[in-house]
Amino acid sequence: MAAKEDRVVLAARALEVGYRGRALLPPVDFEMRPGQLWGLIGPNGAGKTTLLRTLLGLQPRVAGELERGDGVRVAYVPQREDAGPGVPGRAKDVVADGLDRGWSFLDPVAHWRRRPEVRRALAEAGAAAFANQRFLELSEGQKQRVRVAGALVSSPDLLVLDEPTSAMDQAGEHAVFDLLEALRVSRNLAVLVVSHHAHLMLQHVTHLLFVDRECRTVAAGAVDEVLSDPCVRAHFAEGGFEHPQASGVTEGGRP
Amino acid sequence: MTAADAPTLAQFFEAWDLFRDPALSGAVAGALLGWLGVYVVLGRMVFLSAALSQAAGLGVALAFWAGAAAGTAGASTGASWLSPWLGSIGMTGLATLLLLADRSPGGIRREAALGFAYLAGAAGTLAVGTRIAAEAHDIDTLLFGSAVAVVPGDFRLLLAVAAGLLLLHAWTVRGMAQAAFSSEAARVRGLPVGLLRILLFGSLAVAISVCTRVIGALPVFALSVLPAVAATRLAPSVRGALLLATVFGALSGFAGYVVAFLYSLPVGASQTLLAAVLVAAAFLAGLPASLRMRAARYRRGIAGPGTP
Repeated sequence: MAAKEDRVVLAARALEVGYRGRALLPPVDFEMRPGQLWGLIGPNGAGKTTLLRTLLGLQPRVAGELERGDGVRVAYVPQREDAGPGVPGRAKDVVADGLDRGWSFLDPVAHWRRRPEVRRALAEAGAAAFANQRFLELSEGQKQRVRVAGALVSSPDLLVLDEPTSAMDQAGEHAVFDLLEALRVSRNLAVLVVSHHAHLMLQHVTHLLFVDRECRTVAAGAVDEVLSDPCVRAHFAEGGFEHPQASGVTEGGRP
Repeated sequence: MTAADAPTLAQFFEAWDLFRDPALSGAVAGALLGWLGVYVVLGRMVFLSAALSQAAGLGVALAFWAGAAAGTAGASTGASWLSPWLGSIGMTGLATLLLLADRSPGGIRREAALGFAYLAGAAGTLAVGTRIAAEAHDIDTLLFGSAVAVVPGDFRLLLAVAAGLLLLHAWTVRGMAQAAFSSEAARVRGLPVGLLRILLFGSLAVAISVCTRVIGALPVFALSVLPAVAATRLAPSVRGALLLATVFGALSGFAGYVVAFLYSLPVGASQTLLAAVLVAAAFLAGLPASLRMRAARYRRGIAGPGTP
């Protein structure tokens, strides 16, 4: 049996995503493993959400294969909750919701029995201090820590976050990525983050998944590898971004 | 009527045998609709219960009309081949299927379907009502609520449906709340979100159709919205809101009936107004917490939006 570190958490082989049988993007291949922090980036309307929803199993793939490793648990932190901001609940209630998997919600005392896990997840995400506060009263940074704790409480192997730093200032954004990086190391967790803040991503991620419908590109792999793609380099150059790994980009975005 | 002639609370309880079933029907319907109303209010589907209750009203009216047209004796008591129960559940089920079928982005078509169901139900009930003059009283009853007209069979059915649905929802509360308020994260964790949503909409359809037949469309709409609005203002959690809305709903349904007796008001209007008073009281009671939250947001606004 493969060591835990070597096992594949999520693998795509010639995966095509889209709607009603029509692919939006070219096929993509990649393998996510424990301890990797993947950034899913691309311009607005590039197909990031479609790819993300397909990877999560929320919409069917058009073609190719998508495999989850045996027993791999996925936790997802969406950008927004369905019901908007009016749902009442304390931070610890929001975290406890993450305990349920499959049909476990039918066990009426499961949450009561697993309170220590909720406390541990809150502490790990740096949210223990406001566990009893109403979720709605928290700052955006605090809310995001609670959401991450809610994802961690189910002991996932892959943590997926959609735009976790929207509505935050730069310090808040860095705090979230620092937290994710710490979790990646301490839990040997595979993390996939969607963000349009490419500059911030490059400071934290180990791997990139770049999509762009305009230039029909899907590039996946280690950061250096992906940054060698002309379309990716053009994207970074147009954003006025300078980074050692993205150097070599000439004016106009072409190497 | 002078103050001396006005009915008293003592008289109400002296005649308890007469008022027991309708008063308790208000309480039971209020409790059931209060619980389910939390999903309606927090899921921003307030118009759903209005549309379903009107559709239920049309179903009952059509059943009366069919019974009268066929010359069936006892149409008003539900003895015809198309009983008011069946008419109510059938039309509510049809409206629910119409709403569930919508897959439009942002639910745009669902809004239109809700409007259609509401207007067709309301206008249809009134129009059918003019064709069944002998049952005109029943049409008023099912639209605005009744003072005394709850037969024991109706009460027993309401009690059984309410007990069954409340037990089911208490057992599945964690899954139901996640399917309603954070469905994508729940689906990723393998919860049967589709099934739970069908169960939720099915429960709403059954509860609204049965309650509309017993207490009328107006109080059904009111009790499925107002107690939940008051409860979500005060409760610290979804489960707290569900319990509080159940209590508020039962209180509005029962006390609304008593107030209607004491002040000679229409029962549906009285139940609705009492629930509205609870909402106003809840907003006043929740004001300090709301001001604290606004102040905290203001302070964070000064300190910066990303303040950790």
